[in-house]
Amino acid sequence: MSRSSGYAIKAVDLGVRYNLRLTRKTTVRTSVANFVLRRPPQRFWALRHVSIELSHGESLGVIGPNGAGKSTLLQVLAGIMRPSEGAVDVRGQVSGLLGLGAGFDPELSGVENILLGGAFLGLDDVKVHELLPSIIEFAGLGDFIDAPLKTYSAGMRARLGFAIATAVDPDILLLDEVLATGDANFRAKSKERVIELVRAAKGVVLVTHDMEWVREYCNRALLLEKGRVVLEGAPDEVVKLHLDRTAEEAAARHAAALAAGIDPAALAGARGGGRR
Amino acid sequence: MLPCPLMSSGNAAATVRQSPGPSSLTLLRQGITDILSRRRLIRYLTAADMKKRGSDTILGNLWWILDPLLQLVVYVIFVSIIAARPAPDYPLFIFAAIVPWKWFSAVITDASSSVLTAGLLIRQIAFPKIVLPLSTASAGVVGFVWGLVPLGALILLHPHRLSLMLIWFPVIAAVQFVFTLAGAVLVSAANVFFRDLGNALGHVLRLWWFLSPGLFSLQNLENTEFVKTHPIVGTLAGLNPFAVLFEAYRAVIYGTADGKGLPHPPDVLALFYLLVGSLVFLALSIMLFKRVEPEFAKVL
Repeated sequence: MSRSSGYAIKAVDLGVRYNLRLTRKTTVRTSVANFVLRRPPQRFWALRHVSIELSHGESLGVIGPNGAGKSTLLQVLAGIMRPSEGAVDVRGQVSGLLGLGAGFDPELSGVENILLGGAFLGLDDVKVHELLPSIIEFAGLGDFIDAPLKTYSAGMRARLGFAIATAVDPDILLLDEVLATGDANFRAKSKERVIELVRAAKGVVLVTHDMEWVREYCNRALLLEKGRVVLEGAPDEVVKLHLDRTAEEAAARHAAALAAGIDPAALAGARGGGRR
Repeated sequence: MLPCPLMSSGNAAATVRQSPGPSSLTLLRQGITDILSRRRLIRYLTAADMKKRGSDTILGNLWWILDPLLQLVVYVIFVSIIAARPAPDYPLFIFAAIVPWKWFSAVITDASSSVLTAGLLIRQIAFPKIVLPLSTASAGVVGFVWGLVPLGALILLHPHRLSLMLIWFPVIAAVQFVFTLAGAVLVSAANVFFRDLGNALGHVLRLWWFLSPGLFSLQNLENTEFVKTHPIVGTLAGLNPFAVLFEAYRAVIYGTADGKGLPHPPDVLALFYLLVGSLVFLALSIMLFKRVEPEFAKVL
């Protein structure tokens, strides 16, 4: 990889393989049993043959059905997960909003969580204390900021998490479904903040189910299905293909349900839910 | 030791961020850099750990004091009943071992779940995971300092055993800290892949305690009929890191094992060997931890 090409993110032929045996809660007993019975490892590619290149100032929208590997892709780009094959190069400081609402420690107060969060993100102490007032203000939790995190509602926790993660001005921003947190007020506020960050950041990768957002704010889009790239290109085109395929799949399911003599409406109600 | 996780990323092509098979020395260097560059995170996590311990229980951090004292009472009663004549000032004799052991066993037990309980964070943020067992180990130091309060009180109750030899105490504790840290790093990583390790650990620790010269001295052991006919057992018992540590603590706090001699310097050579061994153990643990660390996000 030459240094002269001005990319922010470059991933070549990425693959992430899960060993299903390890992801289940493994014990010494099962390990010994597997070894003795010579069970082959059960493997599963969450992501395979994915190549992306993001130039500075670009914003890539990643779309696809649940379990397509979108979050895994972000985890690899954030350095949380190491790819099983392929190469990744991310240039600059990365900040990720991956799965908000967890908070850092439920026993600690909001302020303490901000300090702890800053330490986790690797910010220096002076910087965190500098950012502290603006984070508290943005989270808008009032007196709750001094109460333990365990007394927070899920929405309040998400607000604090969002405020911490967006406080830094990163070179590269990774966003995972962050636009759907908090109440309507906070959603508007957070949308504004993300747009601001998108403008300031050198590169953005965003996972979302909000197609309007992809059309409006991304200059490229990537459709993932079952860990493979289906299409990469102009947002309008990719979103259209995704919607077409989703509609096709729904129609096929509808037809199959009718053929099996089940009320399709009941089936639709039973669907949904992510992997975790 | 850990067959599957080590190999699952073996055939990967070169990555820029992290090459698939960095050498063990590179891993060790990375691990040490992780620790040094994230000291503040370790401090915060340690403080959070202490706070949780203090707020979760009625007596809070007082348990660090009460726990060894209650154990002392149990063992004194127990040994007074089954042993004909325990050593003079027996409470001090065993307390010199109970307090350090409480430190070690608490850290190892807590460390075994330290990475597991941070699963949510590990899947969301990229940070050096080695800070987790490290903060457990440093919280343990704070707990150990609490435990020194009853130990100090007991020493003052035996003023004739009070001596300047106590200046050796921090040296012995430092050696124990290195050994404890190595064990903490090892079990925290291993428990991710073998979740039932936590169950086994409790039993291993209990057995280890009773096999170590805590309630008895190495000299007591050597005088038993069994060890006289099987001298190899005595040699093996002496190789136990906690044999070295307990004997050293007892030498400077209590005195000779028969209770007649006053405190004297510990076996410095044995402590030195233990320190070197612990440093090697620590280096190996860090290498192993760094080797399996990339798998944590997938497994948790």
